[in-house]
Amino acid sequence: MSDIGMILQRIGAKLVTDVAPKLEGDYSAGHASMSGMMSVMAGEMWDKQADLLIHEVTRLEALLSTGGVKVENAQPESFRISDLTAKRNELAALLVDLQAELEERDDEEARALNEQVWGHLLATSAARMPSPPVFAGADEEDA
Amino acid sequence: MPEPVEAYREIADRFTAYAEAHIPGAKNLRITAMNRIHGGASRETYSVDIAYEDATGPKTRGLILRKDPPDSLIDTERRIEFAAIRTAFGKADIPAPEALFLETDPGPLGAPFFVMGRIEDGLALNPFRIEDVEPHRADVGRAFFRHLGAIASLDIDGAPIQDETDTPPADGCWKRELDYWANEIETNAREPQPVAQAAIRYLRRNPPPPAQKLSLVHGDYRSGNFLHDGHGSINAILDWEMAHIGDPYEDLAWATDLLWCGNDTERAAGFLPWEEAIATWQEASGCTFDPAAFEWWSLFAHLKGLGIWITSARAFADGKNDDPILAWSGWFTHCAHELMLASRLARKHGVEI
Repeated sequence: MSDIGMILQRIGAKLVTDVAPKLEGDYSAGHASMSGMMSVMAGEMWDKQADLLIHEVTRLEALLSTGGVKVENAQPESFRISDLTAKRNELAALLVDLQAELEERDDEEARALNEQVWGHLLATSAARMPSPPVFAGADEEDA
Repeated sequence: MPEPVEAYREIADRFTAYAEAHIPGAKNLRITAMNRIHGGASRETYSVDIAYEDATGPKTRGLILRKDPPDSLIDTERRIEFAAIRTAFGKADIPAPEALFLETDPGPLGAPFFVMGRIEDGLALNPFRIEDVEPHRADVGRAFFRHLGAIASLDIDGAPIQDETDTPPADGCWKRELDYWANEIETNAREPQPVAQAAIRYLRRNPPPPAQKLSLVHGDYRSGNFLHDGHGSINAILDWEMAHIGDPYEDLAWATDLLWCGNDTERAAGFLPWEEAIATWQEASGCTFDPAAFEWWSLFAHLKGLGIWITSARAFADGKNDDPILAWSGWFTHCAHELMLASRLARKHGVEI
């Protein structure tokens, strides 16, 4: 079975709805519940993380290029999540410096590029946001 | 599952000896129940029931024991929390718990700790399920903003909190807080934080008006950090460990941060229409609402949130504390605050989704 997202989501649901209630009154109930919710989140993110990172890397490279920032080896080592994340972080650090420079300038070109940077930061923040967690209510906990 | 006291036998035995020695006239003290309370991973929190005899006869009492984790490097927070509770206890109808013992010697329990009186019959409220407080949402909201204003109204001259923390100038509160959280983010971030860094630069370039007054700031006043009685009253305000002296707008902005509102933009803190909430706070605090101050401090609240979540993620990733709530904070709530901050700052540059 290769549907890892589904496996993580089902394990998470089991922890939240089955295991945690049986531990009620023990400190580990909170651990089980939290771990379950994050397993559900991980299942959702497993499917889209590579896509998010590749889009971020591509967009960061374009913004840096427009801002005149030279990037050596813009391509990640591989499409493993760890390599994509490393490349994204390298480029994001350069973007922090670029945006700080743009804010110091008082010209239309800088303002226009800063708008694009904000468009990227907003889109990225929205894309990374996990779905809201489903917390058990008092009535469900009693059930 | 072991009996609650058995699960914590070592700490229970050590605390029994300590409590008997520190409660005047107490004899034959024993612990009749003990449970660790989930949440607040920065400190181990236990609910403890004790029974003993003194010269007037048998007694029982509920206590809350807050013990530093073994790897804690920060002892000032515990002293500040204890001092903040003492500053608020018994004043202006604020339902602060009674501060009983502060032990800075790690000898008795293996780490410093303090003890408060437990406030009975309190119900916790999950900030992500504010609807659970119905049908008393508005009553709880009025109490929430009245107590928040009351904390800001306390006279801090000579108060215990003044002995444990510095008193910034009225025009320096914002900078002290921004510097502190910017440093936390810089020190603990495991990845570049372009949104947080842009926010720090924006907040520095656009400072707020000076504080209208210097007050006790709770530091983490929000839904989830109080207990209510199920009938519309708040009977305990908890988690004072981030307390300090500063601008009361810091608490107002944090208390009404969107993260703690159940995504309810119509009601302040998810409880009351904004106009009523602000009027209640003004009346209790003696402050006048200033939109410019609130704008700065509410942006800062998102950034402070990022600082807390980034620090949580670091503690979890470094293996200093493996409580899953730290991973949750470093992931979900970090994403939520980053999105709030990005949305508001992008809008200032004409960018919206």
